[in-house]
Amino acid sequence: MNTNENAAPILRARSLRHSFGQTDALRGIDLDVQAGEVLAVMGPSGSGKSTLLHCLAGVLVPDQGSVDYSPAGRAGTAISTLAEPRRARLRLTDFGFVFQFGQLLPELSAADNVSIPLLLSGTRRQDALRRSTEMLERLGLDGLGAKLPGELSGGQAQRVAVARAMVTSPAVLFADEPTGSLDSLASENVLTLMLELVREAGTTVVMITHDARTAAYADREVIVRDGVIAAGYRVSA
Amino acid sequence: MNPGLLKLAVVGSRSAYGRLAGIAGGVAVGVCLLLLLWGGANGLSARDDRGAWLRETGSPSVAAPRTDDPTSSGPATPVPLTEDTALMEANPVEVFRDQLINRRDVAALASTTVKIPGIGTPPEPGLYFASPALQRLIESTPGDELGNRFGTFAGTIDDAALPGPDSLVVVTGATETELRQNGRAFLVSDFTTNPYGGSAPAYRTVLSVGAIALFFPVLLLISIVTSLGAAQRRERFATLRLIGASPQIVSRIAAVETAIPSLVGAALGVALAIILRPVAAQIPVNGTRLFAADMTIGWAATTAVVAVMVAATALVAARRTAAAGVGPLGATRAVHEKTPTAWRSVPLLAGLATMITPVLMVRVLEVRLPWLESPLLILGFLLILVGLVVIGPWLTHLVSRVGLRHANSAAGVIAASRIHKTPMATFRSVSGLVIAVFVVSVFAGASSVFEATEAPPAQPGMLQPTSLYATLGAGAAPAQAAEAARQARELPGIPSATIGYGPAVLSDKDAGPEIYLRATDAPRLGFEDVPATATVAVDTSFLGSMQPLALTAAPAANLDDLVPVVIVLGTDGTPEAMDRARTALNVSGITAIPATSPLDLRLQSTGRLIQGLAVFAYLGMFVAIAIAGLSLAVATASAILDRKRILGLMRLMGMPVSVLRRIITREAAVPLLTVVLLSVGLGFLVAWLMVTFIDDTYQVTWPATDYFAALGLSLLLALGAVITPFTLVRAKTAVTATRFE
Amino acid sequence: MNNSLTLLGLLSREASYGYDLKHSYDRYFGAGKALAFGQVYSTLARMVRDELIRALGEETGGGPDRKKYEITWAGQNKVHEWLFTPDVPSESLQSNLFAKTVIALLLDDDANRLLDLQRMRHMARMRELTRLKQEANLLQVLQCDHGLFHIEADLRWIDLTSARLTQLKKELQSA
Repeated sequence: MNTNENAAPILRARSLRHSFGQTDALRGIDLDVQAGEVLAVMGPSGSGKSTLLHCLAGVLVPDQGSVDYSPAGRAGTAISTLAEPRRARLRLTDFGFVFQFGQLLPELSAADNVSIPLLLSGTRRQDALRRSTEMLERLGLDGLGAKLPGELSGGQAQRVAVARAMVTSPAVLFADEPTGSLDSLASENVLTLMLELVREAGTTVVMITHDARTAAYADREVIVRDGVIAAGYRVSA
Repeated sequence: MNPGLLKLAVVGSRSAYGRLAGIAGGVAVGVCLLLLLWGGANGLSARDDRGAWLRETGSPSVAAPRTDDPTSSGPATPVPLTEDTALMEANPVEVFRDQLINRRDVAALASTTVKIPGIGTPPEPGLYFASPALQRLIESTPGDELGNRFGTFAGTIDDAALPGPDSLVVVTGATETELRQNGRAFLVSDFTTNPYGGSAPAYRTVLSVGAIALFFPVLLLISIVTSLGAAQRRERFATLRLIGASPQIVSRIAAVETAIPSLVGAALGVALAIILRPVAAQIPVNGTRLFAADMTIGWAATTAVVAVMVAATALVAARRTAAAGVGPLGATRAVHEKTPTAWRSVPLLAGLATMITPVLMVRVLEVRLPWLESPLLILGFLLILVGLVVIGPWLTHLVSRVGLRHANSAAGVIAASRIHKTPMATFRSVSGLVIAVFVVSVFAGASSVFEATEAPPAQPGMLQPTSLYATLGAGAAPAQAAEAARQARELPGIPSATIGYGPAVLSDKDAGPEIYLRATDAPRLGFEDVPATATVAVDTSFLGSMQPLALTAAPAANLDDLVPVVIVLGTDGTPEAMDRARTALNVSGITAIPATSPLDLRLQSTGRLIQGLAVFAYLGMFVAIAIAGLSLAVATASAILDRKRILGLMRLMGMPVSVLRRIITREAAVPLLTVVLLSVGLGFLVAWLMVTFIDDTYQVTWPATDYFAALGLSLLLALGAVITPFTLVRAKTAVTATRFE
Repeated sequence: MNNSLTLLGLLSREASYGYDLKHSYDRYFGAGKALAFGQVYSTLARMVRDELIRALGEETGGGPDRKKYEITWAGQNKVHEWLFTPDVPSESLQSNLFAKTVIALLLDDDANRLLDLQRMRHMARMRELTRLKQEANLLQVLQCDHGLFHIEADLRWIDLTSARLTQLKKELQSA
């Protein structure tokens, strides 16, 4: 485990509250994510897992509470106080995202899909494609760069998604049910490769899953139940 | 079909009702436009039929016996009037303000059997019949500006002999002697009913091409509305397939569920057309409105339009659904388009060849095969229209391939990839605008023919635009001319009246090549360099010249030995003074031709029908562009809605909204810009071909500013159509869109 | 399932007679296999000896069924320790976890917590097995997988039970 107990957590959420209309999705969440750790967020459907992830990643601004992001060697940022363009920029440069399915642009080749985040941050196309191809190779997708997502298997498509998330060397990788639509073997394959990659790069991972075997790849897990972190998993501070 | 099944397919959600309303609304607009356009074409043709008698040119009123010398003829002898002929003269420049009045002077025997359309027996000398619109003008204007020109009101001309409610037509009675004076009168016994003379087939061709050009965008609109909400419907149909409906049943359901709102829409369209017909008739075409009654097309034709429309929409819906191949699990993966090939250029090239053939035949080989020319021209035009839509995806594909290779930004790569993979879908969104631009260019090119004649600006050495002149008849004594000039000078707004002299009146064979003037009068005609002699001369072509001419000194000429040949009235340029001067000259009784001003040139035009069509064309253009813009907006919106999840995820990953906007803009701009230049070029080529086919003296010139305005409007509209759904980009790609529903 | 601890747990609600204790047990856990009286009394005797419980004043007849037992302080501690000590993940675990959950609900204690503690223990074991898999050969991987799937089955039961706790408590209280 790469966790350094003395260092400040890379993500620190305090008293997060958020509701959609009448529904309270988050009802006061405190959570620390240590730099370099792989954290699984578990809990039943509708417990607020995704909302928590969206708040941590600066996709949503919580109604109340704060999220602080303190990457190593840089001043901390109160994500929850930034305007959307700044948050978008942060998500692009510092975070990576993997979702359950349908995240690849169907008209783009696998390599082009992976290169999009690089292009967005101003890398030249040739360089972006070179780095994308390297990343695809590291995920065992040699020679599949020219394929369209529709021509790939589900497991291959998820690995392309992981490649896209990791190509910018993000500080934090957010994964929302990354293997939710895969069978056991494909899912094991994707997780093993993903974890190898993140541990090597020292990337922090926040992974939502309701699947215990997926969560077992993490260093620890927290359970979200009815918008709060279950008692045994709470931050002790 | 099981009604329960149909109900399941059609109703249920609010968006389903929205889609049905969209189809009904679109068809209503389409049917209404179609009926109005058809009615308008009918009205134009009815109008031309009614006005045909005004084109009667009769037979010469003098007979010139043949002589041995082919270059000259013997002295002309008048052809005597009989009971079944009348002497008629047309005044080509009977102008009031800036309107041309159609004037006929008629002389007939008392016992004449000639009937003038709308009047009957020709009016007695000194009496006139006027169209209601003209009579209203006469009554509301001082007599010395207009009414005095005609004499005493005898009655109005019947609507049946008038092109439109605003037509200015007058038939005045005159004596035989008056009309025989200048030799321009002709003998008529009955009146032609052919409004276009010899070029009727050519005009009919132009009319057909115009109708097709305007019909096409309407067709496009119908095609767009029937595909509204296609993605959503595919899911519904997939559910139906899952519970056991065969593809045929699904296809049939699609047909019925489109036919019902289409029928409702068509009925609405008919009602709308009836309500709007009087309004549409108010649009002036070539200076006059249409009679609303002329725009009716009859119940049979209306029923046919409705039936064809409903059948067409139902058929299109059924075909599309069958072609989409909705399986029980829906279309989970995007349908892969076949890569378009060079074969797509065939219809366009074939159309061009088909259109060029008759023009070559007529102009180069000088072979006339009327039964073949027009159909070829029309077929060629249709092929080019279809060809543009067919070739678009191929060109778009080629351009996107180059674009994809050179793209260097995320928006560039995403847009180019999508266009490259789905050139047909992306081109379809802009096909309406491409067609609209083509149609606009055709009409602008064709009507540029008539923009060429412009009145020359005021210049020294040329007749001033604010002046009027009339040459004098043989009997005009110097004293009479001087009296007429004196009287004219007394009228308000007429500061000068100048008389020009010559050895004989200009229509006489002894007339000299020059007009002699008093040097003191010369500055009033706009001359600046006046030779220092008492008498000066200028070439007779001065009267109609478009070039400045110089005065020459004529010291030997003595005006007392010459006869007055022309009288020129200078006015202060106000319309009232101009009309007063015109009236004064025309009623003086000594003029040989009606009073003419250099400004009158503006009012004279040759191609009445094409010009009329051009007015319609600009209207049609507006409709076409509006429809095209609408279709682009719908297509852009659905391009966003169909991809809201993936675009939402891209945003979530940190892609700024501005990049999403750039993607959407590029996806519309690339296919549009690829084909729009081709559209413009082809439009002018087709216009040139058609105009050359009708008459090789016509010149297609730089189009009027209206064209550029229309083109600019189309591009603005395109921009608006793409930008309007931008609000959707932000709203529909928010985080909530990424959740699976 | 640990019968003596379960009986001790039941006794920690209130002092009761051996006879009543047996019936309580049968109602909650005895579906299909009721506890024999003899077993109840021998267990009670053992617990008295271990000073986990003590008998209250003897009444007429003096037979064991006439004795009322009360839990001692040491007994209370024993129950609490049992409840909140997660078991080693094993195939025979479920009945014990079940008993603990019911007892916790009956005692109005934090059943959720004991389930969470058990879940953590399970997750730790799964992580261990998952890590083992990384360097193992295929045969060992298959073994690890077997273990993982069994633990996962327990976890699913825990998740489901955890989701049903409120309802379960209501049912137990009304019984």
